Amino acid sequence: MATEPRMYLVGRKRWLPRLAGHGDRLWARWRYPFTRRTLLHIRGQFNPKDLAREKKIVDKRPLYWAAGLLALVVLPPLAGVGLESTSLLSAAAVFALYAAINLVWMLIIGTAGIFSLATLAVVGSAAYAGAFLSIEYGLPWWGMVGVGTGVGLLFGVVIAIPATRLEGFYYALLTMGLVELCRVSIVQSKALGSATGGLFGADGYLPDTLDELPALVLGYWCCLGVMGLALLLYRGINGQRLGRLLRSAPEKHEAFAEACGIDYRRARIEVFLISSAALGAIGGFYAAHFRGASPSLFGIDNLLLLLAMIVIGGLGTAEGAVVGTLLVVAIDKLLIDFGPLRLVLIGALMLGTVLFTRNGLFGIRAQFRAWRDKVKSQARAQRTEKGGEVMPEEATEIHDKAVIAHRRYDKRSRDHLKTLVTPAVIEEHRLMPRGQHGDALMRLLAYFRFTAIEDKYALRCDEPFRSYRLIALSGRRGVPPRVVDDKTYPSLDAAYHAVFVKRCQDLLES
Amino acid sequence: MAQIRLFGYTDRLSVKTGQSLTAHVSAEGTTTVQAQLVRLVHGDAHPDGPGFIEREIDSPINRAWPVQRQYTQLGNHLTVDDAAGRLACAGQAFTLYGFIWPGLPGAGRQVLLGRWDLTAQRGAALGLNPQGLLAFWCGDGTRVDEVAAEVPLLRHLWYFVAASFDPATGLATVHQVPVLNRYNSLLGKVVPLDGRSHVQLRLRVKPVEAAGGFLVGGAHEHNPARGAFVAQCFNGKIDRPGMLAGAATRPMIDALARGEAPPPDAVLAAWDTSAGYTSQGIGDTVVDTGPHGLHAQGVNRPVRGQTGWNWNGRDDCYRLNPSVYGGIEFHDDALSDCRWAPSFEIPIPADLVSGCHAVRLRAGEGEQAAEEYLPFFVRPATPRSRICMLMPTASYLAYANTQLSFEANAAQSITAVVPVFSATDIDYQKNGLEFGLSAYDHHRDGAGVCHSSARRPILNMRPKCRMAGVAWPWQFPADLSIVAWLEHMGHAYDMLTDDDLHAEGLDALKPYSVVINGTHAEYYTERMLDATEDYLAQGGRVMYLSGNGYYWVSGYREGEPWLMEVRKLEAGSRAWQSMPGEHYLASTGERSGLWRHRGRAPQKIVGTGFASEGMDESVPFRRMPDSWHQSVAWIFDGVAPTVFGDFGLAGGGAAGVEIDRYDLTLGTPPHARILASSEQFSDNYPLVQEEIMYNHPGMGGTQHPGVRCDMVYFTTPNHGAVFAPSSIAFGQALPCKGFDNDVSRIMQNVLAAFVQPGPLPGAGYIADEKLWR
Repeated sequence: MATEPRMYLVGRKRWLPRLAGHGDRLWARWRYPFTRRTLLHIRGQFNPKDLAREKKIVDKRPLYWAAGLLALVVLPPLAGVGLESTSLLSAAAVFALYAAINLVWMLIIGTAGIFSLATLAVVGSAAYAGAFLSIEYGLPWWGMVGVGTGVGLLFGVVIAIPATRLEGFYYALLTMGLVELCRVSIVQSKALGSATGGLFGADGYLPDTLDELPALVLGYWCCLGVMGLALLLYRGINGQRLGRLLRSAPEKHEAFAEACGIDYRRARIEVFLISSAALGAIGGFYAAHFRGASPSLFGIDNLLLLLAMIVIGGLGTAEGAVVGTLLVVAIDKLLIDFGPLRLVLIGALMLGTVLFTRNGLFGIRAQFRAWRDKVKSQARAQRTEKGGEVMPEEATEIHDKAVIAHRRYDKRSRDHLKTLVTPAVIEEHRLMPRGQHGDALMRLLAYFRFTAIEDKYALRCDEPFRSYRLIALSGRRGVPPRVVDDKTYPSLDAAYHAVFVKRCQDLLES
Repeated sequence: MAQIRLFGYTDRLSVKTGQSLTAHVSAEGTTTVQAQLVRLVHGDAHPDGPGFIEREIDSPINRAWPVQRQYTQLGNHLTVDDAAGRLACAGQAFTLYGFIWPGLPGAGRQVLLGRWDLTAQRGAALGLNPQGLLAFWCGDGTRVDEVAAEVPLLRHLWYFVAASFDPATGLATVHQVPVLNRYNSLLGKVVPLDGRSHVQLRLRVKPVEAAGGFLVGGAHEHNPARGAFVAQCFNGKIDRPGMLAGAATRPMIDALARGEAPPPDAVLAAWDTSAGYTSQGIGDTVVDTGPHGLHAQGVNRPVRGQTGWNWNGRDDCYRLNPSVYGGIEFHDDALSDCRWAPSFEIPIPADLVSGCHAVRLRAGEGEQAAEEYLPFFVRPATPRSRICMLMPTASYLAYANTQLSFEANAAQSITAVVPVFSATDIDYQKNGLEFGLSAYDHHRDGAGVCHSSARRPILNMRPKCRMAGVAWPWQFPADLSIVAWLEHMGHAYDMLTDDDLHAEGLDALKPYSVVINGTHAEYYTERMLDATEDYLAQGGRVMYLSGNGYYWVSGYREGEPWLMEVRKLEAGSRAWQSMPGEHYLASTGERSGLWRHRGRAPQKIVGTGFASEGMDESVPFRRMPDSWHQSVAWIFDGVAPTVFGDFGLAGGGAAGVEIDRYDLTLGTPPHARILASSEQFSDNYPLVQEEIMYNHPGMGGTQHPGVRCDMVYFTTPNHGAVFAPSSIAFGQALPCKGFDNDVSRIMQNVLAAFVQPGPLPGAGYIADEKLWR
């Protein structure tokens, strides 16, 4: 004897006030200049519980971005000036620059899905070129950015070509080799400061007259500005046509994309050129910011830190790149007292995200929801039987409440009808599939005939009076019925009986 | 090689000898078809009958014809003749407005009104976007921009909607104002629903004038194979739409939403959808009351005379108060005429014997072989026989391409058997019902289909067709069993159709001694009923071989006899039901529904009326005592058993499928006699719904006395008479046992007597009975 399942209370109170609809008032919507995007993606709806008008912000990320960016503009200078901490301010500037680098790198590694490690090689070469020219020839800081861009573009050409030919792991190896090559050649080059451990004394973008703290704050804001530009670039590529092309042609799916008419080679070369030029510009700015460049830029440890930032934040999102960088830079630069332990901490964080999350910090939400859905369906599978009573938690998801009532009727009917299926009834039907039947058979047939049209059994005539076949209707206009099995029946009565037996079988199995 | 698909129709169903028809053929997978003129004798290939019989006839059309694929424009919309381009929807500021009642919001983009070319992405329109939001969109040929309302439109509520656009500022505003009253919508005041929305947005695109004219309820599309056509048709009702010059201010919008007239100086077009109604029906022209007279023309017969936004529940007919009946109903799967190019002429030789004929089309060989019949009915130029075989073509249209067994839950309950689909049935469903629906189906938005056209391929009006629901022939192919009997028994007959009866009335029947009905003459117009009644009153004889005949009030618009209209009201065995207030035929102004409910139950004309239907089994008749009265006993000459007719191609009996009954309270003539009555039916034959006052258990054939089929006979003035076996299955019992059976003998006895002019046999047996036992 089955026990009644326990009915749990469902329903959530809304604590936050809801955005009311505009009703009779005019809603003049705003758009970002030159785009067709409105300020926020808002959907007006009727609350399904009380039918009240409400507005739902479909995508809240712009709000989070605005709050986050505002905090980045305000908080580090406040904290830095308040605590009189120069290390915090310089760490903040490093964060902003690395975040910019990571954002641009994300276009390659996230959007295009190509595992390129040449990022730092591009940044470093541009920084060295800029610093060298500034020191030797007095190039001003903006010239360093320009030169950096040019060097980046050149680099882009060099690394883009193998990217269209080499596969994942081999390409990563190639680019890593390239970084190492750059480092070794710089370390050994006298002209590039092998003796002094780097090039120093290049032009800076801040006037020398500034005091240290204001200079650091201003420097940080400039770096944040660079990050802002990188964000715009990311948005402009990832969110537009080029980004869509690239995302539809990730590694191992190139053939499919090509078959769809996507010229993925061209798209990859374009993204390499654009991102390398941007990285070069950042490199030039880097040299101007630090007034020089050092070989540590090319260090494997640096590269791995960069990788950690991206992995921790989550591949393929701008917020992942920024927050991952923030975390790693904070640990690396602010917990300096921990010594080498902080690198272990970063490693542990990276390992943790790789082991326990599906796509970094910003994949956690989707992962949590998937997990909750899994738990939900497991719980439902335990609590409910197929075709049985609707549980309160299921009822919240059924719009037409008559469906719930029908489920109860259906369950009751089936429970009773199951007791009517006997060999005698089946034999009665076999002998006379049409016409007046006994009470039990009439009841069974009345139920079978009136069931919903979806997947309802019917017959197909292959040859009149000779060959019939069982089909099931789709219940949807324009969708043809499916053939149930490969049996054919030589007469209509035999086919009618086959349908009856099949329906009895389905009934008993339910 | 591609699958060959052949479809076609003739421009008319009825033709006189010496005239000609045009065949309209569409073919896929082949460029030629072989045509052959045939005379159709019997359709049903059932082994208990004579099998399929056709006779090839010499004709100049018997040759290969070049054919091509032809396309069908589905969907209601209004076209506007705007040669001067006043409604350009580009260049100047403008406002589009109207009242709407959405039938299927959220099912694809649907245009309300505007001039929008979706292939070229040019023009502008007000409509519903795929999310079910009211939207105004425009395009300049490369880019499209849209402003949408804040909340979705709900199904079956009336709204005032408008959009204004000013290209100078780029500002576009959509307005949506619910105009619910106590009657007009699905929901009323108790629902806490605020559907108002006014949204303004600066569009980045300025509309560029689209090719093709202004449309209400559709957009222009172009396809390289098909050419230009109209797509994105609206589902639902539109009432009094219009277009103003300039962007309407909010007070103007509010005034329009109150139903006030638009400011005259701003009007570009204001279609008064309630204008031009007559007591005899409504045409396809929608009158523009604006200064330019840009009248609109309905395509595929939009349903007119429907309740409007201001319907108050008091007036129940558009004839009473047209001003509350401005609703025009649109459906994106409606069809009134395929409008295919003619493929060839079919000359009908002057000496062709009247009867059922068809052009048989064949193409391909082996697995690829495809076959199509275009049946038509040949009538002699002048009457030649004493017998008239009347083919119920109005009812053929009602069932044309029905999808009942595919789509209705209750279909298997009604028939009490499992439906059997042919490859053709499945192919038709699969290909999106490209030739429209029947009066037994619903449009995609759930509204019943009230129009059915003869100018389209009708796949179940084919000689070999077996109706899916019952797996035996229905309507036309079933009627061929009567035709085959006439041919076999050597009776000369003239074949007429409902079309002829409706067009000519009594004059069509007058020349004949006897008129034989088809198996299921269910849909009747007033003129057809009048003609039958008058014919009987002036001495005609009718053999009413129908079950459930003279049932639905149907109508044709004057001059368009290919399109039948019916509204299904609150009673009757009905696949759908008209919405409140929409019970009158737009074609004629008559109240539709059952003839019984207009004071003309079929019993008054042929003695019997609908009693029950069921499709599991048919049963035999048993002679009733009155049949031994000498006034009628002649009908049973040669029939030995008292129980007869335990055979038939429809359910294995002569009484069944749909059956009628004698009922004095409904007007069966008082002197009518029940000659025979059916044996017991199964419970799968329930009493018909219009007979039920209180529903209670025991309505089935084994329990309810009203579930029976009566074979009735009575005389009418001037030696007229009616013989009414009142069963669909009767006609399909005739060909059994090589036409040598008791049902056939009864038929022969009656027909032989009815053909003879003057007093009928047994007419003298009218004296008082002086009985000794």
